[in-house]
Amino acid sequence: MLGYVRLELIRTMRDGGYVIFGIVMPVVMYLLFTNLGLAPGDRHDAAIYTMVSMAAYGALGSAFNNGTGIAEDRAAGWLRQLRLTPLAPAQVVAGKVLIGAVSVVPSIAAVLLSGVLVNHVTLAPQQWLAIVALLWAGTVPFSLLGLGNGYRLSGQTAAMANLATMLTLSIVGGLWVPVQNFPSWLKVIAEWTPSNNYAGLSWRIAFGDPPTIHQIVLLLGWMLVFAVYAVYGYRRAGRRA
Amino acid sequence: MIYSGPRHPPTFVFVTTNTSDAVSLTSATKHFGPVRAVDGLTLTIPRGQTVALLGPNGAGKSTTIAMLLGLLPPDSGHAALFGLEPEQAVRQGMVGAMPQEGGLIPRVTVRELLTFVAGTYSAPLPLDQVLTLARIEDLRDRRVDRLSGGQAQRVRFAMAVCGDPDLIVLDEPTAALDVAARREFWESMRGLASRGKTILFSTHYLDEADEHTDRVIVLGHGRVIADGTSAEIKQATALTTVSVTAEGECSWLATLPGVRHMEVKGTRVHLRSGDSDATVMALARAGAVRDLEVVPADLEDAFVALTTDAAPATDKESV
Repeated sequence: MLGYVRLELIRTMRDGGYVIFGIVMPVVMYLLFTNLGLAPGDRHDAAIYTMVSMAAYGALGSAFNNGTGIAEDRAAGWLRQLRLTPLAPAQVVAGKVLIGAVSVVPSIAAVLLSGVLVNHVTLAPQQWLAIVALLWAGTVPFSLLGLGNGYRLSGQTAAMANLATMLTLSIVGGLWVPVQNFPSWLKVIAEWTPSNNYAGLSWRIAFGDPPTIHQIVLLLGWMLVFAVYAVYGYRRAGRRA
Repeated sequence: MIYSGPRHPPTFVFVTTNTSDAVSLTSATKHFGPVRAVDGLTLTIPRGQTVALLGPNGAGKSTTIAMLLGLLPPDSGHAALFGLEPEQAVRQGMVGAMPQEGGLIPRVTVRELLTFVAGTYSAPLPLDQVLTLARIEDLRDRRVDRLSGGQAQRVRFAMAVCGDPDLIVLDEPTAALDVAARREFWESMRGLASRGKTILFSTHYLDEADEHTDRVIVLGHGRVIADGTSAEIKQATALTTVSVTAEGECSWLATLPGVRHMEVKGTRVHLRSGDSDATVMALARAGAVRDLEVVPADLEDAFVALTTDAAPATDKESV
């Protein structure tokens, strides 16, 4: 299975869509937002807040990109080819989840590093630890949603669906423009999105507060919904593959 | 035979799997809607044979292969590889397969792809040997998505054989290839057959079944309609043509041993014979050998004869 993970990571790193949406764009947007004074609050606070937003945005991009890969693999007959090797189906699925978990790391790391190196963000070591851990673990619901789309939809449709979902969740979830600037009706919607609560965990840590129960419960709830969706998609795909 | 007991029609179908058989399908049936793609197919392939599954499009070749690889469960009947469930045999690395299309992914090199596939088997062939066998040594560092059709096909072939499996199944391996690429492909295959592997491939190219196999199984409408060496199949169906020059009354030639059909064109008499040796001997005894010509049937004739008279297998007459 490690051979499978290695092969898929090689493919991911050579994927222009992954590099652009998952790594380059979040870093560029982060540096633009913070240095053009587009982010709210004083400069250092804005640098911290937007750093979390853009790391979350990049992680979302990578997580959904992994799901899109599944649809491409199916279209290319790769899932069937894998079924004809000694790899067990469970190993393939577990491998794909592992690949998703690894592929979000560069996205998160790139933005956090730009925060430290370019915008001179300073946080306590335990804050860094908690933010990295939460940004990483919190991608699971989005990976599941992306995989569900990848299993359920055909190649092009899955790519479009994942891109649209990723952008909608990013924008409505307040990753591009802070929720504080939203009209009140949109703010209500934003607070129920998985993306807002995902970034919210780390926003609170970054400004010295513990995450709220509301955020944790909501994110776990979405994770459950998306897990059911992914399993449903996988079963459907299994019947056709 | 010392004793031959009375024959009863079978009342039960026993699923017997002989572990010495590489492939065994027992009364396998598969429907797609009202169309019976595979219709009670039974076949066994002992280890070490190279077998062609021959048939026109829609004969059920791909469905048969998908069932015996465990990709598609039969509606009824049973498939086994080396006496195991197909999935188990695949899991144990005993099988390598090349589906009709697909299986190549973008953004990896030939070497990366083959190293991965080989790594899933417990005792794979060394990479260099695989590259030589598939004749792709010079493509080692090329990206898989930048290969020509013939090159891609050889890489797909390499994926099927790199784990050094005992059984290799190839579904229409040369369907999309031009003549030159087909020739190169069969050169790779010859290297493989000489390693004592069991090889099953499907094709609708008759010359391939003729040249590259120990045995030909002809499928038509989801059933086995002939099974034997290509020579046997030709003999059973198409007839050897014995031609001589004859003048005057020659209707007696039609009564010679083996002759099934006679055709007269001017002074030339063409006898279609099921036993050309007997026909020629009889001609010689009658002193009628003049400008003798014996042309064996080609598999094309046999194929056409076999596949045109089988009725289409649908449950509804209207479909």
